[in-house]
Amino acid sequence: MTSKLSSVFLAATLAFATLLAGCGKAPMEADLNLATAKAKSEQCVEPENVIRTKHMDLLMHKRDATVIEGIRTTQHSLKECINCHVSTTKQDGTPLHYGDKEHFCTTCHVAVGQKIDCFQCHADRPQIDQDPNYQHTVGSAAGHHFTQGVTAAAAPTVAEIKMVAQPQQGAAK
Amino acid sequence: MNQNRVYEYRRNFIMSLGGVAAVGVIGSGFVLQTASAAGEIAAKPADQPVTNAKRWGMLIDVTKLTDGGAAMVAACKQEHGWGDEMHSADAQKAHWSRVVKVTDKLTQNSFSLPVMCQHCEKPPCVDVCPTGASMKRADGIVQVNKHICIGCRYCMMACPYKARSFVHEPLQDQKPHSPRGMGTVESCNMCVHRIDEGRLPACVEAAPDAVIFGDLNDPNSAVSQAMKTVGGKQIRADLGLNTGVRYHGI
Repeated sequence: MTSKLSSVFLAATLAFATLLAGCGKAPMEADLNLATAKAKSEQCVEPENVIRTKHMDLLMHKRDATVIEGIRTTQHSLKECINCHVSTTKQDGTPLHYGDKEHFCTTCHVAVGQKIDCFQCHADRPQIDQDPNYQHTVGSAAGHHFTQGVTAAAAPTVAEIKMVAQPQQGAAK
Repeated sequence: MNQNRVYEYRRNFIMSLGGVAAVGVIGSGFVLQTASAAGEIAAKPADQPVTNAKRWGMLIDVTKLTDGGAAMVAACKQEHGWGDEMHSADAQKAHWSRVVKVTDKLTQNSFSLPVMCQHCEKPPCVDVCPTGASMKRADGIVQVNKHICIGCRYCMMACPYKARSFVHEPLQDQKPHSPRGMGTVESCNMCVHRIDEGRLPACVEAAPDAVIFGDLNDPNSAVSQAMKTVGGKQIRADLGLNTGVRYHGI
């Protein structure tokens, strides 16, 4: 019985170690131009570690407050995340969408293999023609977490991006 | 900027004078434009939930809509970004708002009116929704909570006004204030994002002379006063749904 338990434990540890090793393949901090991001992270609505671990909960709470109760504060609003963090175009000037590796959300979601559903309905980039004063202060084009680094680091494979974004057929047309 | 403020203040002051004066001559003319120009919708603090103290509604004067409401529909398209679905058949296309032409078979008298979600007090679409996605907000706005909509389209069947439509194809570059996506039902939401900011719905702005928007719960609001004076007909009043959108001249 004990041996069975320990073997299960061993397997779990091994799996976890593999997971950690997988994370190690992500771009190292030195590869990434993090100076801008670190300077700007203090301007974010929550500390960086809170955002990383809890952004989904914050967004989930916020969405119900907004749709059902009409509470439209900018704190924890998906629209504001997009306004601040996502560039409207890629570096070659073409429109940036959540299926692209440069998209702020996709950079991380590819690494953790987590599909994003938000952008099937929500705008995945700021609309400057609608709002010229959108808060594009962090701006991925200006050098954010992964946008600069990812080009140098191993780019996510096509399969990885597909897994995360899964653009529906016809979306690109 | 300051200069504009002064003008705005003067204009509002003159408008309110006009409103007072118009009360005296109500028999001779309909005073929709005076009332609507007041734009009496106050901004709610962004961090406060909506309450049932107000119930939003509008009165549409069909006799003043020279284009039958086409401009209102166009403004809605522009605001919410619907109508350019490429792969949907005509019968499947989104229609948050549409122009309906009515002809009397006997007299051949004909007119057009814009028909959108009528924002019923007792909405059939809310009754039938299995997930609670079709909902009525505390302030009377009927809308779809697309986060929990499963796309069963039961509400489309239940709506007597054919106000709802279904998104059949993947979309891209939606308006940030108006998310809409494949597999969910959608309809006029009275521009909730505008109302929460204290702005008028897009269609009301597009036809300022023909539409009054305001609080139906307040007997002194422009819309209530106008309805008191001229009456406001409901479409399919026999259903007893107490709609928030009323018409004059139908």
